Amino acid sequence: MISRRDYARPGAVVADAAPARRAGRRLWAEAEALLWVGPAFLYLAFFIAYPFVMSIYLSLSSARVGSPDWHYVGFTNFQRLFEDPVFWQTVRNSFIFTFGSEAIRLVIGLPLAFALNRSFKGKRLVQGVILIPFVIPIALSSLAWKWMFDSLYSVINWMLMTLHIIDYPWQWLGEPGLAMWAVIILNVWRGFPFSAVVLLAGLTAVPVEVIEAAKIDGAGPLRRFVYVVAPIVRPILFVGLLYSIVFSFTDFSAVWLLTQGGPYNTTHVFGTYAYNVGINAGDIGQGAAITLFMFPLLAVFVVIMLRGLRRE
Amino acid sequence: MTRSALWRRIKRDYGPYLPLSPYLFVVLFPFYWMVITTFKRDNDLYNLTGVPFWFKEPPTLSHIQLLLHDTMFVTWLWNSLFIGVVVVAITLLIGLPAAYGLARMRFVGNHTMSTAMFLSYLIPPALLFLPLSQVVRKIGFTDSIWSLILVYPSFTIPFCTWLLMGFVRTVPAEIEESAQLDGCTRFQTFRLIVIPVIVPGIITAGIFAFTLTYQEFIYALTFVSASANKTIAYGVTTDLIRGDVFYWGSLMAGALIGAVPVAIVYAFSLDHFIHGLTAGALK
Repeated sequence: MISRRDYARPGAVVADAAPARRAGRRLWAEAEALLWVGPAFLYLAFFIAYPFVMSIYLSLSSARVGSPDWHYVGFTNFQRLFEDPVFWQTVRNSFIFTFGSEAIRLVIGLPLAFALNRSFKGKRLVQGVILIPFVIPIALSSLAWKWMFDSLYSVINWMLMTLHIIDYPWQWLGEPGLAMWAVIILNVWRGFPFSAVVLLAGLTAVPVEVIEAAKIDGAGPLRRFVYVVAPIVRPILFVGLLYSIVFSFTDFSAVWLLTQGGPYNTTHVFGTYAYNVGINAGDIGQGAAITLFMFPLLAVFVVIMLRGLRRE
Repeated sequence: MTRSALWRRIKRDYGPYLPLSPYLFVVLFPFYWMVITTFKRDNDLYNLTGVPFWFKEPPTLSHIQLLLHDTMFVTWLWNSLFIGVVVVAITLLIGLPAAYGLARMRFVGNHTMSTAMFLSYLIPPALLFLPLSQVVRKIGFTDSIWSLILVYPSFTIPFCTWLLMGFVRTVPAEIEESAQLDGCTRFQTFRLIVIPVIVPGIITAGIFAFTLTYQEFIYALTFVSASANKTIAYGVTTDLIRGDVFYWGSLMAGALIGAVPVAIVYAFSLDHFIHGLTAGALK
C-alpha cells in the first residue's frame, strides 16, 4: 500500500503511477504547502524584506521627513558619516555597551546558575522572581533606574555614600564615563536573568554521573568546571550568548530612555544615533545609512548561528 | 551547641538561599523603590535628610490621581491591551499554519523558507524603523494604533512560528498518517489532531507575542505622536515629563501599574515562559 507520506515526498518512487501523474502530484504538494506557509511569507516579504531593501535605497538618497522627492545621491551619506566624529564615537560606544554588558552578565549569571542548579524549597518562586527584570517592559523599568540615577535624589548615591564607598554624589547620567556605566548597569540588570536561565539549561544538561566520576578521579571543583562542565555547557551557552549579543547590539530603548545618547554623545549606540539623525533631525537618508552599519556584525553572527543549526 | 555545629546547621537550612539573596535584592530593589516613590508625598520625596527607604510623612494617593485624571493613562493601557490581543490573534492565525507547513510538509524551498523565518527574527526593529515609517505613511496609517497592529507581527510571527515548529515536530507523524488514511483532509488533521496536542505551545507563543508587543518602544515612538494613540510604554515615558519637570511620583505609579498586566500573564504562565525562553533560544 502506498501511504500518503510517500507521495508527498518529492522523488519518492511510486511504481504504478504514470510520470505525468507524479508530476501533477508534486505540483499539488507545492501548491498545498504554499497555501499553508504563503500568508506568513507574504507578510514577512512586505514588512521585513521590502523595508530592508528600502533602507539600502534610502541610504543612497536625500530622503527627508516630510519631503516627498528623494534623489539618488550615491554614497554621500556614507561619506558624511565617515567624516562625522560622533558616528565613530557611536561605533565605539556600541561595542563597549554590547560586550561590556555581556561580560558582566556572564560573570554575574554563572554563580546564579550554580545557585539555582540544586533543589530547595521555593525554587520555582525564586526562579520566577529572578526573571522579572527580563519580563517587565524595559521602557517602564528604565524609568525606575532613571529615578535611581537622578542627579539630586539618587538613592544609589545615598546608599554608596552611607556605606562610605563614595564621598560625594556621582552624576550618573551627566558625566561621560559614568553615563556609559549607567546604561550598562541597566542593560545587565535587564539581561542577566536570561543569561542565568541559559546557563542553567546548560548545567542541567550535565549528567550527575559524569560529575561524580570526575570527583572519584580526584578532580577539584575548578578542574571539574573547566574540564567537565564547561565543554558540555559550551554549545548551549554559545547560542544563548549570540542571541544576547545581537539584542544588546541593536538595542534602542534602554539607552534612549536613560540618556538619549548623552552627555556629549558618549552613550549613543547605532539605534539611538540613527533615531536622532533620521527622525529628530529629519535626515532619513543619513539615518538609514547609520542603521545599515549594524548589518555586517549581525551577518557575522547569523552565519555562525546557521552553521550551528546545520550541525544539529 | 558548638560553633561549628551551629554553622553546619545554618548551612543546611539556609545554604541554598544565601548566594541567592544579593540577586534577589538587586532584582527587587527597583520595584520596591517604585512602590515607595508612588506613595510618597512630594515633600517627602525631595527631602534629603534621613533614611529614604521609608515614609517620613503619611503616604498619599495624589500621584496616582494625577496619573489617572491629568494624563491619558487609561487610554494608553487600553491601547496596549487592545494592540496586544489583536497582534496575538494575527500572529497565531498566520504563524500556526506556517509552523505546521514548515515542520511537516515536504516541498521544494522548505529548507530555505525555514532559514528565512529564523533570519527575519534576527533583523531588529532598530534596523527597520526608518523605512517602515515610510511604508506606514504610504499606507495612510500615520499616527494611528493600526500602524502598530500592522507592523508588530513582523517580530512576533518569526519568533512564534519558530517556537511552534518545535512543538509541531513533537506530534507523532504516525497519528497524522492514520488520520489521513481514515479520510481526514490535511486541514482536518491539523485541526483535530495537531492543534489539541500543541495547546501548550500555542499558549507559550501567545504569551510571547503579547509580552513582546507590550514591550515594544521604537516603532510606537516613530509612528505615533498624538497622546490618545500612545501605548503604555510610550505614553508613560513621554507625557509625564514636561519640559525639565519630571513627575517622579506619577512616573513611578504609571510604570508600576503599567507593568501589572505583564506580571499577571507571567505569573500564571511561568513554566510555559521558562520553557519557551530556553526552547526559543536553543532550538
